[in-house]
Formats: sequence, structure tokens, C-alpha cells
Amino acid sequence: MAISGDLKAFGTFASSCPKHPLRPALSSSKVQLGRFLNGVSKDLRITPKWPYLVPRTSGTAQNNHQCFGIERSKLSSATINQDAEGFFLNAINMNFFDRLSLAWRILFPTRTARRNSNARIAKQRLKMILFSDRCAVSDEARQKIVRNIIEVFSEFVEIDSQDKVQLNVSTDPDLGMAYSVTVPVRRVKPEYQDSEEDYKGKITGITYKDTGEPSDTVDVTFDFFIPNEK
Amino acid sequence: MASLSHALSSPQYILPPPALIRRQALAPRRHLRRRAPAAAISAAIQWNRKPQLAGETPRVVVVTSGKGGVGKTTTTANVGLSLARFGFAVVAVDADAGLRNLDLLLGLENRVNYTAVEVLNGDCRLDQALVRDRRCPSLELLCISKPRSKLPLGFGAKALTWVVDALRSRPSGPPHFVLIDCPAGIDAGFITAIAPANEAVLVTTPDITALRDADRVTGLLECDGIRDIKMIVNRVRTDLIRGEDMMSVLDVQEMLGLALLGVIPEDSEVIKSTNRGYPLVLNKPPTIAGLAFEQAAWRLVEQDTMTAVMVEEEPRKKGFFSFFGG
Repeated sequence: MAISGDLKAFGTFASSCPKHPLRPALSSSKVQLGRFLNGVSKDLRITPKWPYLVPRTSGTAQNNHQCFGIERSKLSSATINQDAEGFFLNAINMNFFDRLSLAWRILFPTRTARRNSNARIAKQRLKMILFSDRCAVSDEARQKIVRNIIEVFSEFVEIDSQDKVQLNVSTDPDLGMAYSVTVPVRRVKPEYQDSEEDYKGKITGITYKDTGEPSDTVDVTFDFFIPNEK
Repeated sequence: MASLSHALSSPQYILPPPALIRRQALAPRRHLRRRAPAAAISAAIQWNRKPQLAGETPRVVVVTSGKGGVGKTTTTANVGLSLARFGFAVVAVDADAGLRNLDLLLGLENRVNYTAVEVLNGDCRLDQALVRDRRCPSLELLCISKPRSKLPLGFGAKALTWVVDALRSRPSGPPHFVLIDCPAGIDAGFITAIAPANEAVLVTTPDITALRDADRVTGLLECDGIRDIKMIVNRVRTDLIRGEDMMSVLDVQEMLGLALLGVIPEDSEVIKSTNRGYPLVLNKPPTIAGLAFEQAAWRLVEQDTMTAVMVEEEPRKKGFFSFFGG
């Protein structure tokens, strides 16, 4: 049975008494069990604070599901305690090994749990927001950037069509803010073109012949580039 | 924190400065023996140490934040009062022309008769509009306008600059500090408040909304020419930071890139003291937020900054015995 709901109280409870998270809770929950079960029966939805935790409980817990009633809209401290008690009541119905594994996973969270912690999520979101806020560029600046880039590129290449030059602003998790300009190029201007003469004599391919037999010689074939004489 | 507990157990409530914790050598003033760095603990016995004023007087500091409700007015009141207790002449200006709160926080709301609008109109003198606090005579409060009057459309940046210049050239001498409490937002009230200022203290909380607004405000302040911006992080809950639910102060410093003036923990005493009209720093015994405000005031005077200490966030080593020993 997957427990889903809001369980901040359990989180603070666990952090305040890290050594024995379940034992004092169980004793208190037994005392208030009667009061709790008298509540209005609605859907119980409690998620543990750590979303990756889904305790595998046995099927006997299913029939107790309807008895627990907590209204999600009212979140006074009384209902938060009831949330925690509901969680513990479910915990009572788990067998010993399920409880043990649950406790282990709470006390020693795995690396993915730490990665999904609220503080880290907030930091990531804030980074993205700050980058986009800081680097928001005005329309006028965009036009000027595009014009300047077209000017610079025209010195070296022939641009296909000036309307197709685009400036894109995007956020990248590694780089942060990334500006990319797309320039469609028809061809490179002749004085800057790579001439074939430069490639004369350069090696374009190497093949190594290996028959698999141990020998004292190595068979290597080199392919050279010889430009066609026009 | 040994020197802090030392101070708490003593009857005097002026803290030994954070400088002692950092073992910085200070200018010898009325000490008979020269303090060697190794004698830092014994130096804590000198009760009447005052911070040394750095920078030119008067220092005009605007306390701003962008987002409302993060604690600007509380910071202005408490830091101003701490400065006054150190012996500096402080004028606190509530630059919010429409809604007035600084007088409530200082407990002086009944004594405000004249405001800056009346000074500008010529109905009264400047010293009549300054309300002196009886508990701490070095602190004076100046409000901009009476809240029940019509919205003072005429009060702009030039008017506030005139007021600050008048304070600077008043016959009883310029104050050492002019703290301007900025209204929330980035509209006309904000622009008015930052006009006469040379330095800024940015108050923020460690949540994502306040940080985004703080970043925007930093950009605006730098555009306006105020380069000296320091940060106070307010309402810090170390239990949430340890549980990785709230961003730590190190994260905040990394994100905003501002020098840190102080870290104020979340304290219910703030609400209680606001309700009583008795500022937090005057509490005997001092509360944690009050102590943090005093330290921040000390650093403001000496134009010093602090580095955030990392709350114990390291993952506990997985081991069988750590379960029991912790």
C-alpha cells in the first residue's frame, strides 16, 4: 500500500529524535488511537516527506484504510499530529522487517534522496530564474546583436538570407545562459576558402593489415591525397 | 562561541565584538596593556569597547529588500538602536510616505507630531520633527508623512535628499548614521528612498521568492550608483537547513554574490517585542535575534563582513555505530 499525503510533522519529529524514531511515536499513538479512530472517515492520504520512500506493507493493512480520516484542507497542528499518528498506525501494521527498512531509509537517505531534497531543488530553480532574469535582453539589443553578427560574418562567408539569421536565448544547466545565433551560409568567400593545394601530400587513410599470425613485419597502407591537376 | 556564552553570563550586554573571535588586532584605545593575539580571551573583559567608525560621517545607509515582509523595518529599528547604544548619533528615517511602521516598532507612535512634509512646507523646524527616544537618547526618528493625510504626491527623491542634507548641516552637528527604511517594491517609493543613500543593506530571507526580488533590487541599486551593498539574511531556521528543506546561508551568498553583514535566526521574540513596542535589542537577557542584530550593527560600523558558517550538512557516515552514537 502506498502511503501518499503530507507528512512534514513526521520529518521534524524524526529530526528531533534521530535515535529512536518509531518507539516513542508508537507509544503515543497507542494512547490517542481511540480518539483518532473516532474521526470522520475520509480518504487518508499521507505522503512521507521523502517521496522515494514507499514502504511495502502487507495486505492486512488494507482494511484499516477507511477508518483513518483526515481532511486535507485543515492543517492545524492537531491534524498534523494525526497525520503523523496515521503514519505510525500504518507502521504498526507493517511487519518488522518493513519497519526496519523504512527506518533505515529515513535515517540514512540515499544519494538520490539528497539530490531531490527541497533545498537542492530550490537552489536549481533559483539559479535558472536568476539567470533568465539577469540576462533578459531587450528587443532593441537583439536587433543590434543580429545586425552586428551579420556584418562580421559577411566578411568571411556569404550569408544565404539575412532574414533567416536568428538569435536564441536558452538556459543550459551546465553553461547557464546560452545565446546562440544561427546563420545560414551559402559559401565561404574565395579568399578564405581552404585550397586543395594545402592538402597535397596529407594522409587521408591508414589501413593496418593483420592476418593474425605472429610475424616480424607490419603491413601498413597509407593513402595520400593528390589534388587533381586541372 | 565560547566568548558569546561568556558575554551572556555577564551582567553587561554590550557584546565583545566579533573581531575578538577572529583575533584581529585593533587600534589601542584606553588599554593599558597591548593586546597580544594569544590574549584574546582575557580581552573580553573590557566592557566599554566601542566599534570604530569607518567611512565618512554621516553614513547614509538605506535598508531595502524588494519583497515586503522580510524584516526591513525590524532590521532598521534594531540595528539603529544597537548603533545608538554603542554611542553613535543615529537618525532613522521611515521613507514610506504612505504607510508608516517604524514608529510602531520603536514604540514612539504617540510622540510623532510633526513629519518631514511639514518641515518642507515650513510649518515647523527640523528638530521639532525628530522624535528622540527616551530609552536611548542617541536615536532619533523622522517620519515622512502622517498616514491620515492625503497621499503626499510631492515627496520625491529631491525632497528626501534635501532632508538628508539638512540633517547633515544642522546646528547640533551631523549624525553619525542615517538609516533609511525603504518601502517594499521597486516603484517610486523605492527610488525616493535610495536617492540620498551611499550604501545599502539588503534584507532577505532564504526562500526563493525573496531571493529573486533581492537580485532584482541589487541590479537596480547598482544602476543607481550604490555599489556598497551588504546583505542580512533574516528568519533563518537552522533546523530546516539541517534537514535540507531550506537553502543555507552559504547557498544564498553564492547565489546573490553579496557580502554578508549578518545572519538573524528566526525568533518568536521579534513578534512579541513588536507588539509591546519595545525593540528586541533592549531585552534583558538578550535573545538570539537581538545578539545577531548587535553583531550585524557592529559589522556595519566597522564596514566589515562575515563569512557564513556551513551548517552541518555532511551526510552522516553510514555505519552501524553511528545509529547509536550520532
